[in-house]
Amino acid sequence: MTDPARTDATTPAETGTDRTGAAGDGTPETVTAEVGTAGVRAPVGRRCFLRGAAAAGAGLTGAAAVGATAGAVAGDGARVGDRTAGAGTAVTVVPPFHGPHQQSLLAAPRRSTVYVAFDVTAGDRTELTELLRTLTARARFLTCGGTPEPVGITGPPADSGVLGGAPPPGALAVTVAVGAALFDGRFGLGGLRPRRLSAMPVFPDDDLRPDWCHGDLGLQLHADEPDTVLHALRDIARHTRGGLQVRWRMDGFTSPPRPSGAPRNLLGFKDGTANPDAADAREMDRLVWVGRGSGEPAWAVGGSYQVVRLIRLLVEFWDRVSLAEQERMIGRARESGAPLDGDAETDRPHYADDPTGDVIPLDAHIRRADPRTPATADQRVLRRACNYDRGVDANGNLDMGLLFCCYQQDIARQFEKIQGRLAGEPLTDYIRTFGGGYFFALPGVRDETDWYGRALLT
Amino acid sequence: MRRTPGEGARSPRGRAAVALAPVLGAAGLLLLPYAPPPTAAAPRGLPHTTVEVSPGRCGRGWDRPAPGLQVFRLHNTSGAAAEVRLTERGSGAVLGETEGIGPGTTRTLTVRLGKGAYAFRCVPEDADAVTGPTVRLEGGRAGPAAAPVTEHDLIPPAIAYQKWVAGGLVTVVRLTGRLRDAIDRGDLAAARTAWLPAHLAYERLGAAYDAFGDADARINGTAAGRPGGVGDPSFTGFHRVEHGLWHGAPAGSLRAPAAALAADVAALRTSWDQARMDPAQLGLRAHEILENTVQSELTGRTDHGSGSNLATARANLDGTRAVLARLRPLLTTRYPGLPALDRRLERAAVLLDGFRHGARWTPLTRLSRARRERTDAVFGDLVERLSSVATLCAPRRTA
Repeated sequence: MTDPARTDATTPAETGTDRTGAAGDGTPETVTAEVGTAGVRAPVGRRCFLRGAAAAGAGLTGAAAVGATAGAVAGDGARVGDRTAGAGTAVTVVPPFHGPHQQSLLAAPRRSTVYVAFDVTAGDRTELTELLRTLTARARFLTCGGTPEPVGITGPPADSGVLGGAPPPGALAVTVAVGAALFDGRFGLGGLRPRRLSAMPVFPDDDLRPDWCHGDLGLQLHADEPDTVLHALRDIARHTRGGLQVRWRMDGFTSPPRPSGAPRNLLGFKDGTANPDAADAREMDRLVWVGRGSGEPAWAVGGSYQVVRLIRLLVEFWDRVSLAEQERMIGRARESGAPLDGDAETDRPHYADDPTGDVIPLDAHIRRADPRTPATADQRVLRRACNYDRGVDANGNLDMGLLFCCYQQDIARQFEKIQGRLAGEPLTDYIRTFGGGYFFALPGVRDETDWYGRALLT
Repeated sequence: MRRTPGEGARSPRGRAAVALAPVLGAAGLLLLPYAPPPTAAAPRGLPHTTVEVSPGRCGRGWDRPAPGLQVFRLHNTSGAAAEVRLTERGSGAVLGETEGIGPGTTRTLTVRLGKGAYAFRCVPEDADAVTGPTVRLEGGRAGPAAAPVTEHDLIPPAIAYQKWVAGGLVTVVRLTGRLRDAIDRGDLAAARTAWLPAHLAYERLGAAYDAFGDADARINGTAAGRPGGVGDPSFTGFHRVEHGLWHGAPAGSLRAPAAALAADVAALRTSWDQARMDPAQLGLRAHEILENTVQSELTGRTDHGSGSNLATARANLDGTRAVLARLRPLLTTRYPGLPALDRRLERAAVLLDGFRHGARWTPLTRLSRARRERTDAVFGDLVERLSSVATLCAPRRTA
């Protein structure tokens, strides 16, 4: 699918001859004072270094907000089972910022999420580089917390103050991904596009609206509190004002366990129970991370394909459907989350024992999404979905749904296979996918000197 | 600059009132018994140093100086409100300031200090400024600093700017006269052609809108905030005429509004010679013109039919450059980002010129998504950069 906006390419006259970056020129001006300022790096670095380990303490506090009701906060030093947030996996609650991967994408969604798709307005490759360096510096500062650098009389306050004088990290996780459109002619990156990255196609049950699709760069923020997320969003937008323009944005939230297990979506069902174990590194290497020898450009190793789908749930309609029919459509009991052939949420469905779908219908959502066969095992994705609520539509119907997000090694092998099986499932009458996009989550920021996309641009 | 009735004008007076509020509030504390300053009011984890603010003991208490990020707790032991600046001794550059510290109160100041010699400067209300003891530091790199701009510094640029505006008003009067004449003749095609140059001539002077006072609401107000909307009798000026010209109004119905507009700009030109612009306005205008462009033009909010928002934005760029040209001597030594700002302004001008086709401009609604995003980005970038011009050029008392 082509992007009509892109047919209007940047003219040389618009890009100018300025070698400066989106938010900076390399000259010591206030707008970019945080980039390359020795004064910023040291303290932040120390904090970031501690983040993975120290997070356990902070994580307990944070997890209390999300999962204490489950009574399942299981701090054992550096790890807290994120079953409290219900994804059925266990990873460090607050992922470290630095590393070969963006650990943030493994983390179960915290209570508050913002997904923003940007278009890059940086004029050329140099500006794009400067933009990504700035984005890295801001993400590093925001996830690590600390005192914003004072600017004296040389500018307005460096920080919005929304989180007080020394913004705490608040379990903020930042994930940066790029869309296929970034690899058009503007930045000379055409030959470096991740092999399996394209614009999101239109699927048969979709009702896509162009204003809610695609983007050059996807930014996902999640944290324990909405103010933490909005503080980060304002900070990043402010520092990248010249180089990024918001294309679309969706805010989401993750519910606490009701009363236990995976958080419920707005259909009332537990969602994410069958996720692969994000704490299992080998499983993540098999399903999520792009590895060596996969035919991908070398820079992409360590990244992951991200699929975002904005799925409205027609909740009024859904609420008028009998419980038995709801459960047959999903394949699970609404109350317990157990598969219809099991007793507990974590029970594994046994489709082989039910070949004609007497208990779990053949077209039930969970059965089509994951048939649990050896042949489909490598098609599984890491779901990182949350709920959204954005008011009402023109007819006064509540506009809420699912901010679906998943990660995988290969969109065609994984998400698209699943999507193909789900085509025409009974649930499609109750949902409308109206937006989203395909993105590639960049490899991680390895250390203090690294930055998002360095391997792509250098 | 458009200013609709009821819309809060960000006048320097308004700002001064805001700045004064803590002073007045603090003055009330004079009635209270002295209480020792609280202990944890600033970012935690940073070194704290409490220093005194008073004519006799300005900066006392800074006994264990150290470089790096730190917090000073400024405790005003005098009977008058004071402003405190931490300055670099050699250059007089200000690393940080706290305004309006009330008698008996304590405020914090977070700064990053590096190798150099520093001193506090206490500026009490209604009394001479005092410099505290000099403190020398070894090692580290200080945060950004700049020499203060005084009102005295701003008077020559303000006068020069005022003269430039006066010249611009002559053009506005002349071009508005043409618009009025075309309407009087009943030649609405000619009137539509004459409207834009007249309006742009006025928009180019955008920087002066506060100084224009109520005249601006009559000359350039929109229908927003008027109970009767576009039919409201108080809706006058360029946009009133624009609305008629682009909505099929008969010439007869536009004669009175056009005549009133011409009379209003003529009256403004006459009164401008008597007006005295507050020098404090200049720095604010440097960023507020384009802030207004972002809010009112790039959103299409002010469009009453002509589709000329991008032309207006282009005129506002000229207006911003006119302000900066006068402030340039003050900025070259204070704002390292000035060359980059200049380049970005030029880039914005080139971008907008690309939307001009002879006398016609691409309406905002016809911009492709990519071009609109680029326009928003370019202006968004400019207002971020210009915000520093405003803080640097706020007049500060130094003596």
